[in-house]
Amino acid sequence: MATLRKWYVGIALFFAMILDGSLALAFQKIFYHPTWGTACWFTVVGICLIALFDDLNKNNIWLILAIGVLADGYYFGYFGIYTVAFPLLYYILQKLTRFLPETFWFRLIVCLLSYLFVSVYVFFIYAIIGTQQIGIKSLLLSIFPSWVVCAIIFFITYAFWQNLIGKYPFLENQKNYL
Amino acid sequence: MKKFFGNRKVLTILLIILAVLCMLSVSVRMRNNRKSPLFVQRLGNDTMAIVSQVVDWPIRLVSGGADSVSQLVEAENENDHLKQEITNLAQTKARNSALEAENQQLKSALKLKDTLTNYDIVDASVISRSPDTWSDLLIINRGSRSGIKKNMPVMSGEGVIGRIIEVDATSSKVELITSTDKSANRFSVEADSTKGKKVHGIITVLSKNQLAFTQVVDSSKLKKGTKVYTSGMGGNSPKGLLIGSVTKTTRDSFGLSDVIQVKPAGNLNDPSVVSVIKRKGEE
Repeated sequence: MATLRKWYVGIALFFAMILDGSLALAFQKIFYHPTWGTACWFTVVGICLIALFDDLNKNNIWLILAIGVLADGYYFGYFGIYTVAFPLLYYILQKLTRFLPETFWFRLIVCLLSYLFVSVYVFFIYAIIGTQQIGIKSLLLSIFPSWVVCAIIFFITYAFWQNLIGKYPFLENQKNYL
Repeated sequence: MKKFFGNRKVLTILLIILAVLCMLSVSVRMRNNRKSPLFVQRLGNDTMAIVSQVVDWPIRLVSGGADSVSQLVEAENENDHLKQEITNLAQTKARNSALEAENQQLKSALKLKDTLTNYDIVDASVISRSPDTWSDLLIINRGSRSGIKKNMPVMSGEGVIGRIIEVDATSSKVELITSTDKSANRFSVEADSTKGKKVHGIITVLSKNQLAFTQVVDSSKLKKGTKVYTSGMGGNSPKGLLIGSVTKTTRDSFGLSDVIQVKPAGNLNDPSVVSVIKRKGEE
């Protein structure tokens, strides 16, 4: 059981990734429109909060890379979108965390910017490889609805991630935290 | 140049970008060209599909309940409409069975085994959808174990909504017909012109939820409302699957050829149950 506890963050992030697809399907009438859309990323919010709460843990980046690989394989069938976006986002946030205020509202702003970062990254990758033809207008129209969803996810999951990361940091010996 | 290559940080970033682009191009190529993904990827996808179905169950229960309430409101109107349809149904059924029997007799007389119109259906549930803003990919709970193969057409509602682009053992990915993917395969289609002749072409995407019937030789003869069906010529789809109906004919940006806009008939907004079409005579 003690071994499993070290993996709680990993398991939670895995389920967050599955939940992304399930909720995108359940709310597809609301999320997808011909000219704009909404991204549903519990995973992105989770990664932000992991980086903000546990920036000294060096194991996290490998977990996030693995989640990115799984997400790419499952949702796209090719690699290079989440495989890169997730670890890159974590790396940037991890480096910045020590300079950022540790307040709830500031963390929300960080999550909103991270959401935008991943959206823009996905947009550019689609433009480069041509698997989707999207106009800049569609990207701009999608920002606000995506932020609304991001804020909702943030409010729902903030306390959960705070407790989980505080109690069970990924693959870390908890004695070090006492 | 020496300075540039002397800066290790810049060089590392450049190498990482190159590696990412290589990874993307190789994996996209593999997805498009291989019949099924690598074993490790298949294993991961199937595991995730199983977990996804477990996670989906309570979500479906809640969203299904909400849908049922909204459907109850529309039930009366729907009931009246269906009563009218039922009066014609018995006659259509009798006529259909007579035509089917006649069709069978003619086929056996001509010693035809499988024609382009022969197909089987595999019903599947959609278990997940790509969560980013623009992707047109669905994941269904049927895979190679159910006989599904790459490029099979997928229907929901009244018409075709897409095709299979990746097959795992217990799940598959469906790319919607409205996908703007440059490398996606296109459906070869046909429609009846006003003179009764068949007009052939392919389906391309104008914008999201707007299809076009292109490469048509004699387009001006297609009236508004004309149904567009698969022609079975592409080798992957059987003949006679409904794609949509013609909405209007316009000139392309160069003014050289006609662009016939087609409204998709399939349920693209909320596909939760789909049918995969297996063309006969290929197995």
